[in-house]
Amino acid sequence: MPSPSADFDYEATLAACAGGRHSALHALYEQEGPRLLGVVQRIVRDRALAEDIVHDACVNIWTRASTFDPARGSARGWIYSVARNLALNAVRDGQREVVVDEDTATTLDARASLEAWHDMADAFAWQASAGRIAHCLEQLEPVRRNCVLHAYVDGFSHGEIARRLDAPLGTVKAWIKRSLAALRECMT
Amino acid sequence: MSTRNSAGLSADDHELAGEYVLGTLDAARRRAVQARLADEPALQAAVLAWEDRLLPLSDLAEPATPSAHLWRRIERSLNALAPRPAPAAAPWWRNWHSLSLWRGLAAGGFATAAVLAGMLVMREMAPPPTTRFMVVLVAPDDKAPGWVVQAGSASRIELIPLGSVEVPADKALQFWTKADGWSGPVSLGLVTPGQRLEVPAGKLPALQPNQLFELTLEPRTGSPTGKPTGPIRYIGRAVKVM
Repeated sequence: MPSPSADFDYEATLAACAGGRHSALHALYEQEGPRLLGVVQRIVRDRALAEDIVHDACVNIWTRASTFDPARGSARGWIYSVARNLALNAVRDGQREVVVDEDTATTLDARASLEAWHDMADAFAWQASAGRIAHCLEQLEPVRRNCVLHAYVDGFSHGEIARRLDAPLGTVKAWIKRSLAALRECMT
Repeated sequence: MSTRNSAGLSADDHELAGEYVLGTLDAARRRAVQARLADEPALQAAVLAWEDRLLPLSDLAEPATPSAHLWRRIERSLNALAPRPAPAAAPWWRNWHSLSLWRGLAAGGFATAAVLAGMLVMREMAPPPTTRFMVVLVAPDDKAPGWVVQAGSASRIELIPLGSVEVPADKALQFWTKADGWSGPVSLGLVTPGQRLEVPAGKLPALQPNQLFELTLEPRTGSPTGKPTGPIRYIGRAVKVM
């Protein structure tokens, strides 16, 4: 499988898709298909559904390519957002909603709870992640790092993360909230 | 960077955008964000910024090989989506007055202008023969500029590649021109992809405004009929340059 290298011009490929060239979408599929399928399958946890979603994602990329604006973000980020959104919609729409009392969530002292989680092991080999995100993840406590990664990579909901970590739901919500604020500050 | 348009967005909305991209919003809140994205460019910019921030984490998911038929399924959907018109049976130069051809070329005007501007800057820097005509040849489907024709002097015209082009091993690109009133296109020779081609102007009458230039895909030794037989790869018309 080709690497997501600078050699592949994602922007030009989207432009060619917008121009109606099937070969451009095929090149993109050859370049990113296995990675897109891997990302989607991890979230939906079902192979057949994952292929359905990659199919829908490719058709979406094709029909919406002309709306991509390179001034506002990377082409590769846009491509993955199309696929991840479809995958997340699929799992969230089928999910029983966990109602959280917002007040309880925010009044819980998440920092105090962190003490108990101090020695938690990393659930992901995130250190290999490219670019600035690895540096910024390093600044987070392991448990908060795991929350972010279980959410993004596994597509876990707050409730699923809470069960996986055996942590109170409100605490998990507060951890994620603060982690996002820290990541944005670190990466801006 | 994509964050610039999200300036002024509240911290809550930045966080909402983050949770949206992270995927932790429940179905109702996801839908609510998606509904807002359509007419809130600042929120959209915040979401796109998060997409780019978190994208490297995608690599943490193990890639999976798609089944062999997945691409065929996608391609069938593309075909069903927008049936593309069958290629015209008549040679392109008989469709001379085809409106869609000229509409297509007009749509390429913006790219043409950009290339012309670039070429004119280059001219300023290196004073060379005065260019009197210029043609930008664009791909007919996506209007991507591929070649420029310069007629800088009375003695020659020059075809200049703007990038690399792939041509199948058993095919060649052939260069043609046709001015108003000519009975058909005249071959200016075979083109080596990525290389300049100089044509002595003695081979053809003086250039005219709107004169058409084309590169078509032909057998490796050129068109067997002396007229274009294959699909148009690049097309453009002469513009007078002051």
